[in-house]
Amino acid sequence: MADEIKQEPPANFKVTIDNVTLEVPPGTTILQAARMVGGDVAPPAMCFYTPLKGSGGKCRTCLVEVSKGSEKDPRPMPKLVASCRTTVMDGMEVKNITSERVINARNSVVEFLLINHPLDCPICDQAGECHLQDLSYEHGKEGTRYEFKRRTFKKHNLGKYIQLHMTRCILCYRCVFTADQLTNKRQHGILDRGDHAEIATYIEKSLDNEFIGNVIDVCPVGALTDRTFRFKNRVWFTKPVDAHRDCPNCCGKVTLWERGNEVLRVTARKDPWGEILPAEDGKTGWICNECRFEKKDIKDWVIEGPMKVARHSVIGANHYEVLDLPRETIPEVMGGRAPKLLMNIHSISDVNDPAIDLSKIPGPATGEVFDRKKLTEEKKD
Amino acid sequence: MSSKKLLLENAHIEGIRYYDVYRKNGGYRSVEKALKMSPDEVVEEVKKSGLRGRGGAGFPAGMKWSFIAKPEGVPRHLVCNADESEPGTFKDRYLMEFIPHLLIEGLIVSSYALGSNVTYIYIRGEYAWIPDILEQAIEEAKANGFLGKNILNSGFDCEIYVQRGAGAYICGEETALIESLEGKRGNPRIKPPFPAVKGAWDRPTVVNNVETLAAVAPIINIGGEEYAKIGVGRSTGTKLISACGNINKPGVYEIDMTISVEEFIYSDEWCGGIKNGKRLKACIPGGSSVPILPANLLLKTAKGEPRMMNYESLADGGFATGTMMGSGGFIVLDEDQCVVKHTYTLARFYRHESCGQCSPCREGTGWMEKLLLRLDQGQGKMSDIDLLWDIQSKIEGNTICPLGDAAAWPVAAAIRHFRDEFEWHITNAAEAQTRNFGLAHYADPLPVSEPVAV
Repeated sequence: MADEIKQEPPANFKVTIDNVTLEVPPGTTILQAARMVGGDVAPPAMCFYTPLKGSGGKCRTCLVEVSKGSEKDPRPMPKLVASCRTTVMDGMEVKNITSERVINARNSVVEFLLINHPLDCPICDQAGECHLQDLSYEHGKEGTRYEFKRRTFKKHNLGKYIQLHMTRCILCYRCVFTADQLTNKRQHGILDRGDHAEIATYIEKSLDNEFIGNVIDVCPVGALTDRTFRFKNRVWFTKPVDAHRDCPNCCGKVTLWERGNEVLRVTARKDPWGEILPAEDGKTGWICNECRFEKKDIKDWVIEGPMKVARHSVIGANHYEVLDLPRETIPEVMGGRAPKLLMNIHSISDVNDPAIDLSKIPGPATGEVFDRKKLTEEKKD
Repeated sequence: MSSKKLLLENAHIEGIRYYDVYRKNGGYRSVEKALKMSPDEVVEEVKKSGLRGRGGAGFPAGMKWSFIAKPEGVPRHLVCNADESEPGTFKDRYLMEFIPHLLIEGLIVSSYALGSNVTYIYIRGEYAWIPDILEQAIEEAKANGFLGKNILNSGFDCEIYVQRGAGAYICGEETALIESLEGKRGNPRIKPPFPAVKGAWDRPTVVNNVETLAAVAPIINIGGEEYAKIGVGRSTGTKLISACGNINKPGVYEIDMTISVEEFIYSDEWCGGIKNGKRLKACIPGGSSVPILPANLLLKTAKGEPRMMNYESLADGGFATGTMMGSGGFIVLDEDQCVVKHTYTLARFYRHESCGQCSPCREGTGWMEKLLLRLDQGQGKMSDIDLLWDIQSKIEGNTICPLGDAAAWPVAAAIRHFRDEFEWHITNAAEAQTRNFGLAHYADPLPVSEPVAV
């Protein structure tokens, strides 16, 4: 989408989002325009996914207020509109975070999304890169007003690579669109309706198509997970690097998630909004199952360098130059002096000696293990 | 006072279901008349009649027709919405079952006006026996030259197909209906684009209710201006009301929108009063999704004027003290009915029928149902009432289609007008399980207590 925008210079529409005015080509949606502004002005989007045709409009987290329809018809829109599916008009004025109505609606949508969500982030593989987690961190309340049993489903294995944990699903339909548009025979979809609707395959069918693994990438929550990666590691402990290989089926441009020299996971490359990168030289950013699940050896790949990690992501902790360091406030308030440690924990504690390998001790460590006298004697021996 | 009948005038005649009897009683005159006019003249006639959509929203049908896009070389479609699933509404079933040819006649005229050569009737799955009746009527019309190629030598071709739904309330929403008609899952589409521009198979499509389309036949017969003289103000023509609940004579009635609600309930010509000599407690005048009103506000508006059976008068006072004409499903509740239980039943319905596409409706309807069940079973808390109010206010207006609104309004209205009954269910939980709150002050003369703050 970003490419198309650059190619169309004439007759731009002027749109004002949260008092920021910019010019965008006709046909741009409010969400895309807001993403050009970036930062807090961009509404969250849980179901919209630019490369997927027909996606969006369902989760209602991207609702915005249109306070002026256009230059020609300045009437405001009576209802909040889904910014991902509403195109801008010339002279349109949009309020996102400057509108109390929008903030209230978004908070309530987040509350609705969370009432049936298991909130099992501590044991969820998506934790750390979960859009619902980010969303609830920003807009959720610490408590819930929901006092009933949450909706639950059994876990299902959709073939040997993908596991479906429907309990976490927010029914964004992204995976349905993905399977519909990338594979020639769609075998999973939505069964039932309302709050008992579920993503499922009919009669436990497995999904075997060489591009089906992409449903894991598009899932904004931990409902579809990679069975070759499940419980292997937390994403923030892994090191994401961009790599490529010469793949006959797909673009072969991926992100490897490494720990040491071990490749734990392979995913498609994503932009800061969690969407796969736009097509380059005729190949889309989607990757095939072979690249995703089978090539888990560092030798298979040509490493390009560390992945640029978005500022808001917990994956970014301790990684890379794109990270803005937090302001060093302590030296500032102390007039440039560095704080003096009151005591060094290693020097005062008996039970914390980095020289001792705890894994080599039989049974739990006790004070005896760290006994200094004994240690010095052992060293002499 | 007998009201003028246009749709059900001949419904009592034996064998009117069949072509011969229908034709003998003046059937298909409007087709003969319309095909001599130009399509635009037919649209103009419907515009003049002021006919408003009978499906619930009350949008002027002629205006809707004039919105249809007419790109070169793209076929257009007319779809008849017979997915009548609103609890309390059964007028279309009556019409299709007893005088199917009236609908077919209206459909041919409307198809001609809109330039639709292939017209569909989308009928709900539960009306299992009616498609056969309609298909038989279509066969008969075809055999007599009113359908098929070159109708009455006018050069206009038209085919009507009956499509059975699988029985989902949501498929009564026009874009969900189109999706279902295309053979997909009946999820409402995100508008715009509107069906008049991109509807079924991305072609311009008009979706109208059965009654609206049937009313086109008498409009052409008597003329739009003549039709507009019936009724009052912008509520022109006649309206079918399906009355049910605690009344002596439930059934489908055709009214001309000049009678008062009080007359409609108590007159022997219509509902014949409340059953077993009970007193009126509340009423939902337009199908389950419109706001419920207590007896005093139902019979008289907040200004103290008698409330009439028409679009404007029923909506008088907005949602604070008024309601809506809706689809004409007139549900009457007597003093023995429990509003909490009633609201729970409706919430259960909307939870079950929510398509699950957008979050507020999918999650909110289930939450409301659980809260209302708890209140009904006497295990509720005082804070639940405010919570319910909060939930419904957050569903309303934030969803893709009007089902969210339809689920929110009955709950909102029940709390707005019957809050004391909800509170009584909490404070007197044990007693609430053994008896009903009764009529309370709901029929007391106006003014009633102030509606709760939003």
